[in-house]
Amino acid sequence: MKTDRQALGIQRQLRRSARRKRLLRISGHSIVYALMIFLAIVFMLPIFWMASTSLKLPQEIFAWPPEWVPSSPQWGNYAEAFGKYPLARYMLNSAILVIANIAGGLLSVPIIAYGFARFDFPFKSALFLLMLSTMMVPGHIKLIPLFWLYQKLGLIDTYAPLILPSYFGNPFFIFLMTQFIRTIPRDLDDAARIDGAGNWGILYRIIIPLSRPALTVVVVFTFVWVWNDFLEPIIFLRDWDSYPISVGLAFFQGRYSVEWHLFMGATLVSIVPILLLYFFAQKHLIGGLASIGVKG
Amino acid sequence: MTALSFRKSLALVCALALLLAGIGGVAAQEPVTITWWTLASAESPEPAIRAVIEAFEAEHPDIKIDVTIMAESAYGDLMNTALGAGEGAPDIAYFWETPWLPHTLDITDHLEADPDLSRDDYFAEYFTNWATWNGRVVGLPFTVGANFVMYNKDVFDEAGVDYPTADWTPEEYIEIATALTDPAKRRWGGDRPRGPFRAVWRNIGATKPYSDDSSTVEGYFNGPESVAAYTWLWDLVASGATPTPADIEVLGTEGTGPVDLFIAGRLGMATLNNGHMITAANAGVNFGIVPEPHVPGNERFVHAWALRASIWAGTEHPDEAYEFLSFWAGPEGQRINMEIGALMPSLPAVLADYPDADSDYFQGFMGVLDATQTAEWRADHPCWRGAVIRAVSDAWDLIMLGEIERDEVQATLDSMVEPAQAALDECVPRLGG
Repeated sequence: MKTDRQALGIQRQLRRSARRKRLLRISGHSIVYALMIFLAIVFMLPIFWMASTSLKLPQEIFAWPPEWVPSSPQWGNYAEAFGKYPLARYMLNSAILVIANIAGGLLSVPIIAYGFARFDFPFKSALFLLMLSTMMVPGHIKLIPLFWLYQKLGLIDTYAPLILPSYFGNPFFIFLMTQFIRTIPRDLDDAARIDGAGNWGILYRIIIPLSRPALTVVVVFTFVWVWNDFLEPIIFLRDWDSYPISVGLAFFQGRYSVEWHLFMGATLVSIVPILLLYFFAQKHLIGGLASIGVKG
Repeated sequence: MTALSFRKSLALVCALALLLAGIGGVAAQEPVTITWWTLASAESPEPAIRAVIEAFEAEHPDIKIDVTIMAESAYGDLMNTALGAGEGAPDIAYFWETPWLPHTLDITDHLEADPDLSRDDYFAEYFTNWATWNGRVVGLPFTVGANFVMYNKDVFDEAGVDYPTADWTPEEYIEIATALTDPAKRRWGGDRPRGPFRAVWRNIGATKPYSDDSSTVEGYFNGPESVAAYTWLWDLVASGATPTPADIEVLGTEGTGPVDLFIAGRLGMATLNNGHMITAANAGVNFGIVPEPHVPGNERFVHAWALRASIWAGTEHPDEAYEFLSFWAGPEGQRINMEIGALMPSLPAVLADYPDADSDYFQGFMGVLDATQTAEWRADHPCWRGAVIRAVSDAWDLIMLGEIERDEVQATLDSMVEPAQAALDECVPRLGG
């Protein structure tokens, strides 16, 4: 009898303990989710404000109290923005630049990084450091010499100055990729070599397929950088129809005022490709960054 | 006979060759191409730019215009890069920054020889202040700009405050701004000046930050009139009737005037310009215009400017470049921009035909143009904008941020004299007095 009672007591205690644990787990999850929802709202606010502004009249934009959802949405603002400047053309130009730069990065970065990661050659460390040091030079300092150089080469007002550098490797990506390749066991290289693969074969059959996370970083970062690049296009391009979207958006900022409602509408449309890219690539991107960070 | 025939034949061949070369030369003569960098803006939108080119090329089939239309925020970087590289700059562009002036072509002779255009065709002060530098004609003034106080009549009516009049004083400005301020509605009565030694400074009597011969800062920048003007600014900041620099920074209108706040009715008065005036009129704001306040007995000043349209000193085609410059910044080009865009031409004869010439705001704007321009500080004293203003900006910032007390204004200005003098001494040999 006594034993049964003790057993019941223990069972009750166990149940109570399990309930307490479940409650703790639920409340812990609730706090985490509440925090995440709060942060998501905070981070979404600028985009929401952008969307809201894009549907307002100029005099409503800075009115107090602010009207988060316009009572009479001005959908015509979008048509006006795209009618005022050839923004669709500019987005296409940006897409061309992005694709060309991604191709350049994917061609050049793995080859250079493979060289640094797998081969020994004279002054390797010095060259690696030299390459890294180019990352420390502010972009503005290079503008005048680059302008002079491309002027001499007759490449001003072409896309060449905006594309060619990517075919010679980006130091940041080379560094990332070198670190990543170093984490791939050399045994795989040796096995491939026994099977008859040469250096190029190892690169294309072993290294590149295993480097997908790092290559995703190259693709996504290149996309975002090139899509948002403003300084170089304004220096090297001259033709009205050749500008990328980053330059096109700047036309809404006039000498004396900003056409906020049109500017926000155009900007909202212009960030859609980046949002889509991030949405579809986030798994690889986060995985890629984490693996480089952990193993590198 | 044979020899003579040979000689004759040779001469014939040579003559023929020369003739063919001549014909070929004429046939190969292509139109001269002039490169032009400009901006797309509300005053001069892209269609107006294209229309100017079309009209010019129709009149001058021997000259082609290769235009680059740039955004305002990109223009400075582009010009600095090209001028810094020493090549690749355009034949014609706006040379609005003072340090760009040494790179402009002196067009004095071209203008004097021009039968269709003279400096007298332009507003005199705009030409002197914006097209001449160190005795040279460095461009033509394109459009006119000026600051004035725009007041929102609806805000005044709601607060029960009388509209300002042209004879108002700086102290009255603070009083009215304070009366209009309503924290509950997030509404400020007025805004703050955007730099020292502009119209209010001059109207208070702070004539110049250094001597006329550009040699001495002591006694000018820290003189009693200058101290009075900075102290007025201190009082304005302390009144709480104006947006702070942070407010203006957040709203993104720093530098050109808080027109967005004004249009939204959150600013009762604001020192704005004719570009803002058009924006407010298009937005349907019920507003009036008065000159910036001044102290009775003092000369009245206006902060005014023009865009300096110039020829690059490195151009290979100065004559053709002048042909286009005088068209674009002359009556025909400015008229096209006025009719297609919203340009206020710098030629009185063309401005008289402004589409809204009968409107109250346009009349108010024309009244402001009668005052003496503070902009002479750019033409006669390029070192003010070129270097000295940076050396004294701390005094401005300390007051704007409320970091000093009222009785510290004099000492603060005194402490800036030495760096200002050093900046002036460095700049004068470079840009002239």
